[in-house]
Amino acid sequence: MIYGVLAYAQRDLRRWIRSPMNVISTLVMPAAWLIFMGVVLPGTDKGYLDFITPGVLVMTMLNAGLFGGSSLMFDKVLGYLDKFLAAPTPRESILAGKIIFITVRGLLQALVIQIIAILVGATVLSLWAYIATFAILALFGVFVASFGTTIALYLGEHDSYAAAQSFLSMPLYLASTAMLRYDQMPAVLFYIAKVNPLSYAIDAARMASSGTFPLLEVAVLVAVSVVMALLCIRMFRRATIS
Amino acid sequence: MNAIETNGLTKVYEGSAVVKGLDLRVNGEIYGLLGPNGSGKTTTVNMLTTLVRPTSGTASVCGHDVTKDSAGVRRSMSYVPQDMAVDIRLTGWENVELFAKLYGIKDKTERRERIEYVLDIMNLTDRAGDMTKKYSGGMRRRLELAQALVHRPEVLFLDEPTVGLDVTSRRSIWEYITKLRGSGMTIFVTTHQMDEAERYCDRVGILKKGVLLNEGTPGELTSGLEDVVIVRTDSGLPRNLPDGVTPVKLENGEAVFSASDGADSLDAILDSYKAEGGKVFSASVRGPTLEDVYMQAIGPGEEAPFDEDRFRNMMRRR
Repeated sequence: MIYGVLAYAQRDLRRWIRSPMNVISTLVMPAAWLIFMGVVLPGTDKGYLDFITPGVLVMTMLNAGLFGGSSLMFDKVLGYLDKFLAAPTPRESILAGKIIFITVRGLLQALVIQIIAILVGATVLSLWAYIATFAILALFGVFVASFGTTIALYLGEHDSYAAAQSFLSMPLYLASTAMLRYDQMPAVLFYIAKVNPLSYAIDAARMASSGTFPLLEVAVLVAVSVVMALLCIRMFRRATIS
Repeated sequence: MNAIETNGLTKVYEGSAVVKGLDLRVNGEIYGLLGPNGSGKTTTVNMLTTLVRPTSGTASVCGHDVTKDSAGVRRSMSYVPQDMAVDIRLTGWENVELFAKLYGIKDKTERRERIEYVLDIMNLTDRAGDMTKKYSGGMRRRLELAQALVHRPEVLFLDEPTVGLDVTSRRSIWEYITKLRGSGMTIFVTTHQMDEAERYCDRVGILKKGVLLNEGTPGELTSGLEDVVIVRTDSGLPRNLPDGVTPVKLENGEAVFSASDGADSLDAILDSYKAEGGKVFSASVRGPTLEDVYMQAIGPGEEAPFDEDRFRNMMRRR
């Protein structure tokens, strides 16, 4: 099982690395966001850059996950999936490989964003704070990769998914604690932000940066990731066996 | 034990049966499943390769039941679907390596040897390090065969193996397939190419609306049919036809007849035209072909419902 999962993940990573345009394009948005909001905007200080960096890291994972959601759907449409399904490797390893690939790719992109943040003046944290932050990002990555993959398999074709992706990405980001603290939000936004998994990932990353262990946030993230992964497995089985 | 065996294999989609009570026995041969689009060929292959669950009936590959032991089926066979799906950003070697891993060949030395071996058989060794983006259609199909062969399957399923390929590539693909049969492998092919099926398949089955109409060697199937006489003329059909000659059709100045002995009948038909003052530009005789058998079995004008997925994939390939 593990062997097959790694083979699938390696295939996707190789394909991704050999497509430089894909590598760069997914970095532009969060980098621009970070530099614009954290550095260029008048009246912002170093404190605000430190405040939004976790949000931008989570946004990087969000975009990477939603972007990667279409990957399995493409494998299906283009005929790769039939070949994989006829191989003796357990079928769920196709899905597991995909989720791992999407998450690892997101983490690599987040790492680049983290380096850019430090270069433009974010406070340098302890190694443990970074490890904790990236562990939280990985957890969130699994959630968002499962989420994107489930929706893409459900919609079954690229145009609808592209529409869903742009429809989901910005609102999820804006209706979270990425830019504002809970106490700065109007009531409506507050409640939306409270049920938005993005907020939990961002809050957790912030707490990790400041040295506290985000127990509640991590527990929520684990719960939503497990539920979403189970939904994704169900959708995968529905989309593959008839 | 039959390499492929089905008993009353049936698939029903939304109330309508796509495959109805199929009984097949296939062993150590190239078996061609023929039929128009929508006749159930791909569904049959998908059931045998465990991609689709049968509604009723049983099927087994190398003794493994497709529903009870689908993992066993997948270990003993390989499947090359119709869509040419090789990863264009991977090299030929890496494409085969992926499948070597998926088939669980964990020992590095063994894996390397097997990859080298199948690339060599498919004549791709020189280009193994190139991205498959640069491969021609024929090379991509050969690479897919290499992927399928890397775990030494006992049974190979090929869905339209020569679709979209030029004449030379088609021929070389069939030569490879024939070679594999020579090594004892069972090969199950679906195809629309009657001439290819006639030439390369040991046995064929003709499927119409999910039912097997005819089955046998191409020779057996054509032996029941009469010779075909084709006359190009501007005079239509002769009023008095010789005995034993049946008119089949008259189209675009071409009169087609069937007769048990084509050569004798040709003379007799020409005599009839001459006696009636008809003008004949050319005339020819040929033996019955598998296409004749097919057309007789399927009948004219069978249009399958439009398959959007298939069409999209075809458009992409062009």
